[in-house]
Amino acid sequence: MMLIDDKKQAMIRALIGGLTGAALLLALVWVLDAMPWMSHIWHFRNPFAVWAEWLMDDYGWPSPSLPNLCLAILAGAEVGVATLPFADSGRELVARSLVHFLVMSATVGLWAAVNFGVGELPFFLIPLALVYVLVWLGRWVGWYAEVAAIREKLGLAPGPSLFHWKESLPYVGFAFLLCDVLPLALRVCDAPDVPVLVGLLLPYLLLPVGSFMSGLSLGRRHGFCPLYPLACGVFFLPTVFLLMNYTALPHCLMAAVPALAGNLAGAARRRIKKGKEADAP
Amino acid sequence: MKVEIQIDPSLEEPVVVLRTPSPTEEVEALAARLRGEAAPRPFTVYQERETVRVSRSMVLRFYAEGKGVFCQTGKGVFSVRQRLYELEEELAGTRFVRVSNSEIVNLDRVTGLDLTLAGTIKMTLEGGTVCWVSRRYVKKIRQALGL
Repeated sequence: MMLIDDKKQAMIRALIGGLTGAALLLALVWVLDAMPWMSHIWHFRNPFAVWAEWLMDDYGWPSPSLPNLCLAILAGAEVGVATLPFADSGRELVARSLVHFLVMSATVGLWAAVNFGVGELPFFLIPLALVYVLVWLGRWVGWYAEVAAIREKLGLAPGPSLFHWKESLPYVGFAFLLCDVLPLALRVCDAPDVPVLVGLLLPYLLLPVGSFMSGLSLGRRHGFCPLYPLACGVFFLPTVFLLMNYTALPHCLMAAVPALAGNLAGAARRRIKKGKEADAP
Repeated sequence: MKVEIQIDPSLEEPVVVLRTPSPTEEVEALAARLRGEAAPRPFTVYQERETVRVSRSMVLRFYAEGKGVFCQTGKGVFSVRQRLYELEEELAGTRFVRVSNSEIVNLDRVTGLDLTLAGTIKMTLEGGTVCWVSRRYVKKIRQALGL
């Protein structure tokens, strides 16, 4: 699989990115060296002397800092070509984005492991994954606006709302009842000493089944609606703090994950049904 | 016929006003041409060695499959002797737009557009024919629609 189509452009971007990565790291090293650790006065020394000290030990051998510079160049080059794998669409886009994410994660992970230890990897890799998700989200919103403009110009119906938020609204009301009103009602009926209804029945039966079934129904009607599982998880937060405590925070997943699974299953069923209808004579 | 061109910087796009004492056929034809409604010459397509003339408005899409190029209308699929890039050149500036490496569609026959999570656009034509728009060709659609 070719990650990038235009190799010449990729080489130029990688070169500029690599040099920028190195320049930023060296500038950071120079500024950190000048910082007033013990006094209020900044003391900027000759940058070449600072970099030589940083990159070489007393005997002129490469110091342990050298891998940092290599990784900065590598990360810069990867950022430089970051937009190129996303030029296409469909499976190509997904495959290329995943490959770029894996390569970038390996670089950042190596840098984090060298400087902070393997235990700190999630602290760096989770935000990196979120950045990729945000970039994809931003691009998708752009595509959505583009398609909406084309629809309008062609005189077609507006189509579904962004992330199906309008279509999800009636179900959000149900999610509110399930995640906020039902727990309060159960609490009233619960035994004061052993809260079986709120402690067991709600998180392990009512919440997963209710959110799964509602997600399934929404998926069957409107396809994949990513905001609904999110709403289920967020709506359960007040219940956690009003009726339980912070240790019950994972219970939010007991609402969000089944809702997501149900929604995906419903969307898949809808797609299969539509495909059959299209194939029918 | 007297032709006069007036320059008016306050206008956002050219405006043509035809002043005539009576609506003649000549004036109607001229107005239609100016609106881009002039009847273009029909396509020559083939069905089992028979030549068929198909008007442009009837065409849903042209597509390449295997080594051949085909023309799909509401009444059936016909083969075409031109290559897809030749058709693209011939149809430049019209409502026919290339949407992928293998398809040119008639935008006037589009009935639906759906965006997938991966950015591909599913385009539905009259009769339920589905084709996929590559992101590389979205710019061409936007240009054709004046966006």
